[in-house]
Amino acid sequence: MSAIDDLNAELAKLPGIGRKTATRLTYHLLKQPKPTVERLASTLRTLAEKVHPCQKCGNMSESVLCPFCVDPRRDDTSFCVVEESSDIDAIEKAGEFRGRYHVLGGRLSPLDGIGPEDLAIDALKHRVEQVDATVEVIVATNPSMEGEATATYLSGVLKTTGALVTRIALGLPVGGDLQYADAVTIGQAMAARRKMPE
Amino acid sequence: MRLDALTIRNFRNIISLDCEIPPEGVVIIGENGQGKTSLLEAIFYLALFRSLRGSRDRELVSFGSDGFFVAGEVGQRIQAGYEISGQRKKVSIDGDPITRLGDAVGRFTAVPLAPADRELITDGPGARRRFLDVLLSLGDKQYLRRLSELKAVLKQRNAALRMGRKDEAAAFDGPFATAAEYIVRVRRQWADDWQTRYAEINTALGEAGTSSMEYSPRREEPETQETIRSELAITIERDLAGTTTGFGPHRHDLRILREGRDLRRYGSGGQQRTAAIALRLLEAEALTERTGDRPVTMYDDIFTELDAKRQGYLLDMMKDWDNTQVIVTAPRESEVPREMFDRPRWSINGGKIEA
Ligand SMILES: [Zn+2]
Repeated sequence: MSAIDDLNAELAKLPGIGRKTATRLTYHLLKQPKPTVERLASTLRTLAEKVHPCQKCGNMSESVLCPFCVDPRRDDTSFCVVEESSDIDAIEKAGEFRGRYHVLGGRLSPLDGIGPEDLAIDALKHRVEQVDATVEVIVATNPSMEGEATATYLSGVLKTTGALVTRIALGLPVGGDLQYADAVTIGQAMAARRKMPE
Repeated sequence: MRLDALTIRNFRNIISLDCEIPPEGVVIIGENGQGKTSLLEAIFYLALFRSLRGSRDRELVSFGSDGFFVAGEVGQRIQAGYEISGQRKKVSIDGDPITRLGDAVGRFTAVPLAPADRELITDGPGARRRFLDVLLSLGDKQYLRRLSELKAVLKQRNAALRMGRKDEAAAFDGPFATAAEYIVRVRRQWADDWQTRYAEINTALGEAGTSSMEYSPRREEPETQETIRSELAITIERDLAGTTTGFGPHRHDLRILREGRDLRRYGSGGQQRTAAIALRLLEAEALTERTGDRPVTMYDDIFTELDAKRQGYLLDMMKDWDNTQVIVTAPRESEVPREMFDRPRWSINGGKIEA
C-alpha cells in the first residue's frame, strides 16, 4: 500500500464519502502547499488527543466535564436526552433549554446490533436517581423510527425513577407552508395539537 | 395516460430499442423469448420503478451488461436507470433527479394482464397483498411511505426477537402500530369500496354465481393504533418463541371468493383465470378513479389462454374504454382476436421491433 492508497482508504471510511470522492480529496490535498496539509494533520491530531466524551453527560469536550455540566446556572432537575453530541449544538442554538444534557451515543437498532448496553442508558438512570427532587427527562432523540423506539425504551427504563418523561413534539416546521408539508408530518402535527389559551 | 415514446437499453431480453407508440396502442407479435414480456415489463418499470413480479433490479439487467436504462414520454419524460456496480437506481422526471422515489411513483400508471396473473388467485396471501400494495402505492404516496416504514420496523423488531430481547422488540411497537394502522385502514377501505364492482366485472366476464372479495381477517371494529399495540403486547411471547412478528398487515389477505368459498382452493382453472382478470380490470378502474386518468393497459399473451366465450366478454368490455392505450402481445397472428385487426401491428424478434 502506498501513502496515497492509505489515505484513500482512510477517507473512504468517513460517512458520505465514497471511493471516488476519497480519491479526489487525496489528490486535492497533494496539490496544496505543504503547510496547509500539515495544519490539517496537526488539527486532526489535536482533535484526537484533546477531545473526549464528558464524564457526566457524554458530550464531546476538551475538559473532563463539559461546559454544560459545570455551569452552576443550569437546572439540575431537567435533562435533555439526545442521540449525538452534535444534537446539543442545535438545541443550544434554539436557547429554549436550560437544564442538563445527556448523550446516548446512538439509538437502538437491533438490526445493526446496537442494544441498550451500547448506549449510555444506565448512566442516565443513575444520574436521574441521584437528583433529590422531581426530575423531568425530555427525550429529544430523532423523529425516526429508531429514535421513537429509543424514546419508548427509555421511558420504560426510567419508570422506576419516578421521573416525568416527556418527548419533544413532532410537527410542522416554523416558517413552512402547510400545503407543502408531507402527509405524515401533518398527521403527527394533528395528533400533537394543543388547546389554544383562553 | 398515454405512452408516446419508449427507450430501452439492456433490460431483460432487449438490448436496445427506441419506438414511438400510437395513441390507441399496438398489437405486438412475437414468439416466446423474443422480448414481448421484457417490453411490457420495461413499460411497467416506469410506473413503480420496481419489477412487476418482484424481481430484483439486478435480475432485470440483460446478461453481460452492467446496468439498464428505460425512458418514456408520458407528457413528461420519465427516466430510470440502474447500475449493478453501485447498486444504484437513478430516476429523473423531465431531467430533474428524484431523490425520494416515492415522489416519482404513480406519475405514470399501467396495468398489466398476463397468464401468470392466475397466481394472484392460486398463490398464498403474499401475492394478493402485493397486488393491493402496488395498486394503493400508485395512487397514494403516503401509503407507499407507510409501507416502507412498516418493512423497516419489522426488520428491527424481528432482529430484536431473534436475539431474545423482549423490551427492545416492544419498543418498536409504537412505530409499527402507526404504519400498520394506516395500511390496514386503506386496504380495508379499498376492499369495501370496490366489492360491488368486483362482482359486476365477474358477471360481465361471464362468470355465473356470486363472486366476492373480502379483506382478511374480518373485524367488527376497525383497528386503531391502540388495538394494534395491545395485540402486539399479547402475542409477544409467541413472537419471541417464533423469532418473528406474527401479527400485522404483513400477514393479512384479500380473500377471493365464489359462492362464499375460497376460490384459491375450490375454483376451476377457468374461474381462477377470470377472477385474476377481474382483479386487474378492477385495478385499472381504481387507478382511473384515483388519478383521473386511465392507465395504459397491457395484455401479455392473454387471449391464448381464454376460451372463446371469455375472450368475447373481455373484448366486449374493452369497447367501453375511451382514451385507453392498449398494448397487446400474442405469439402468432392467429392468436390475435378479430376485434383487434384494425390496430397498428408490430412484430418483435430478438428484442428488435419491426413495424
Ligand atoms: Zn457534560
